Amino acid sequence: MAILGIDDTVGTNQKARVFNREEEQMREKHLIVCPYCSVGCRVYVETEDGYPVGIEYVDDIPGIPNKGGKLCPKGNVAFQYAQSKDRLTRPLKKVAPGKFQEISWQEAMDEVAGRMNEIKGKHGPGALAFLGSEKCSVEDNYLIQKLARAMGSNNVEFAGRLCQSSNVVARTKILGSAPQTNPSDDVLKADVVVLWGYNPAATNPVFFGQYVEKAVLDNGAKLIAVDAVKTQSAKYADIYLQPYPGTDLAIILAMINYVIENDLYDKDFVAKRVEGFGELAKTVEEYTPKWAEKISGVPANLIEGAARTVATGGKTAVLANEGLNQHVNGTAAMMALTDLVLITGNIGKEGVMSGAIPGAFNGMGASLTGVNCAQLPGAIPVADEEERERIERAWGLEIPDKPGLHYVAMFGAAYEGSVKALYIMGQNPARSLPDSAFVEKALEKAEFVVAQDIFPTETTKYADIVLPAAAWHERAGTAISSNRRVQWSFKAADAPGEAKPDWEILVGIANALGLGKYFYYSSIDDVLSEINKVIPALKGATPQRLRDDLKGCMFPCSDEKSETPRLFLKGFPTPSGKANLIAPKYIPPGEIPDDEYSFWLSNFRLVGHFHTGTMSFRSKSLEDRWAEGFVYINDQDARKLKVNDGDLVKVETRRSSLTAKVEVTPYIKKGVISMPWHWGFNLLTKDAVDNLSKIPGYKTAACKISKVRG
Amino acid sequence: MSKKIFIDYERCIGCKACEVACEREHGESMIKVFQFPDLTNVSFNCRHCEKAPCVEVCPVNALWRDKDGAVVVDPLRCIGCSMCVLACPFGIPKINELNKVMVKCDLCADRREEGKLPACVTTCPTEALKFGEVDDITLAKEEMVISNLIGREKK
Ligand code: SF4
Ligand code: SF4
Ligand code: SF4
Repeated sequence: MAILGIDDTVGTNQKARVFNREEEQMREKHLIVCPYCSVGCRVYVETEDGYPVGIEYVDDIPGIPNKGGKLCPKGNVAFQYAQSKDRLTRPLKKVAPGKFQEISWQEAMDEVAGRMNEIKGKHGPGALAFLGSEKCSVEDNYLIQKLARAMGSNNVEFAGRLCQSSNVVARTKILGSAPQTNPSDDVLKADVVVLWGYNPAATNPVFFGQYVEKAVLDNGAKLIAVDAVKTQSAKYADIYLQPYPGTDLAIILAMINYVIENDLYDKDFVAKRVEGFGELAKTVEEYTPKWAEKISGVPANLIEGAARTVATGGKTAVLANEGLNQHVNGTAAMMALTDLVLITGNIGKEGVMSGAIPGAFNGMGASLTGVNCAQLPGAIPVADEEERERIERAWGLEIPDKPGLHYVAMFGAAYEGSVKALYIMGQNPARSLPDSAFVEKALEKAEFVVAQDIFPTETTKYADIVLPAAAWHERAGTAISSNRRVQWSFKAADAPGEAKPDWEILVGIANALGLGKYFYYSSIDDVLSEINKVIPALKGATPQRLRDDLKGCMFPCSDEKSETPRLFLKGFPTPSGKANLIAPKYIPPGEIPDDEYSFWLSNFRLVGHFHTGTMSFRSKSLEDRWAEGFVYINDQDARKLKVNDGDLVKVETRRSSLTAKVEVTPYIKKGVISMPWHWGFNLLTKDAVDNLSKIPGYKTAACKISKVRG
Repeated sequence: MSKKIFIDYERCIGCKACEVACEREHGESMIKVFQFPDLTNVSFNCRHCEKAPCVEVCPVNALWRDKDGAVVVDPLRCIGCSMCVLACPFGIPKINELNKVMVKCDLCADRREEGKLPACVTTCPTEALKFGEVDDITLAKEEMVISNLIGREKK
């Protein structure tokens, strides 16, 4: 703070100050956005004398994503992780491998700026790469991509590449825009809900309980679930399809085939709002349900039943996530699914829903602010000259006109030596990228690594400079939920030691780099105000509005009064105003089992943990309940392998191996095993990416299993 | 009339938000989620019985019923004799190792005092836990069963 002269009281929630006379303490409550998933639930953090002591449910603000203040286990411990003893509190400099020394902010900033300028001078701006974060605010993300571009590099990415890029690419090509189309409330009005590779009961529990489950149990909607494991969401399904991982594309193509063959498509909608129908019909001719049965292992009659239900069952919400899109055929699968939504007319009206579902509370915000090697703020393609020039004028900076390196390629380049400096904000690529062992080697080889984080992670180990950041409730900022809701999160407590909000650190770095005049902000409000000008979709999401109207607003909002609950009611944001069906060919998933590696290996998430565990592993209430990984094995396979519940097995792929305890279940497909993703799963995965979106094929690998101990 | 927490286990997804919420309020959880191999989950806490055996057997009258009908314990009176532990047909009362007194669900007495709902009920994402008067809840259930029986939507 002192070094930047920044006023950090802006955005503090002054509204709810209560002086508790009896205890003579200042008890306050501060409204934040939950620091975990993309539902964007609201939570009050209660403080006493400025120290967080508890949370309270937000049952007094209508219109928030978590009606009635509902919270899943993670939201209940919204700040517990941050009280872990191993918080980073001072800037650190690596003095020997694994050895760090505390330094001052001034030294840290000078060192970072000196080394980055030196590398840029010697090797050009392409040798620099930056990572933003779905766990940082809209403002932080906007600044890191601006910093990358001010340095002359489009090498700026975040984990959105790893989890939603296939969805985003597919929907943008077909519809002109990727985010969720309708407000969550519309799920309650749907007649059919499809959960495809998506288990919201574990990953978005409040959304599941308040919308999906109510639609099904109370409003009589039909549920179709498609997942390699029968989950807590899928247990409510009327129709449950269990394909081999990554073969879902075959099923979707067959559903389209069935709908067209049987004349069940929405002719009126197709005639008025869609282009490319003939081509699609021709392409899917060969993809019959019988053909799909052979590939996916799902009986043709179930595929037909699902197709009929989507086409004739009424208004259908189609919610798809990583089980479908995190494959090397992810973009093709999302294209086919979007085609299915279109030809059945389940878009551009009330009572339906589809669209990207980012993992973290600000995945949508990081994406929208242009933390993308090929996109500028507002999801503008880097190559769009007119729009790029508009942003260049706003910034007074030149922006490189060629796309940079995508997330996986950055680390390939670091390994080969063409990327020399990595600036990593709130990411843990050493565990989140496929093939962890390779990524760690790349981090080791990089000449200069900066890691800005709240905890030491598998990634900060490799950093030359570690910068301590404030946790989410220790600073103010904007976050955007998967439902496009833009919300202000207030500052509830001070950060420990010398840790600072990410945006302040970035402004400090920009100053030290000599770019201060492009980063002249005296408060976080200044940053958001600039975003309001640069990103048209966020024009009306001003700091004032977000603080006055605590439920926030659904972007696009063209002014401070308006918002957009439903997309595509009249047309699609494409040149013709119509949606462009794209007819994808079948592409097999990445690594398919063979004689040596004979099992399909997939992965999933647990309700009590989050991503690579940097936060949730440090939260005692979660760690006590979800203590370790395990591996689901089908009961028939278990008998053959002679393993029982609790036995230790080694799961081995061509990359590496992990050991875990067996959990025998009839709810996973025979021949498939699956493990929670949180405990180092990426040691096993392969770095093959989808051609179009560059999403890694995390959800399939071939593996073998052997018993370690009975 | 006494209020209770009703458990609609059909709705429960086993997320354990109720456990974490209770632990957050009370330091340890007084509600436990049981998960069964067929994907069923049952979240279970004190039933606050109308003829509570624990209240009846307590030799020092450390247990009583408060204004909402909750069976609560006075830790200052409790002698840790475990009579209630033995008497409870559900295995609800536990002896706290550290304090040597019995602990159990008090339907979040502190929260009710402030006009709030029990923590587990407020947090439950699926509304599997409902807090209310016995009659209201049973009436709603009756209505649902009848409307399903005759195939009419209830008003
Ligand atoms: S559903 Fe998501 S946003 Fe809501 S409490 Fe849970 S983790 Fe937080
Ligand atoms: S919070 Fe509700 S859904 Fe979750 S385990 Fe408890 S009772 Fe079940
Ligand atoms: S009512 Fe309160 S004390 Fe009882 S189980 Fe629920 S949260 Fe715990």
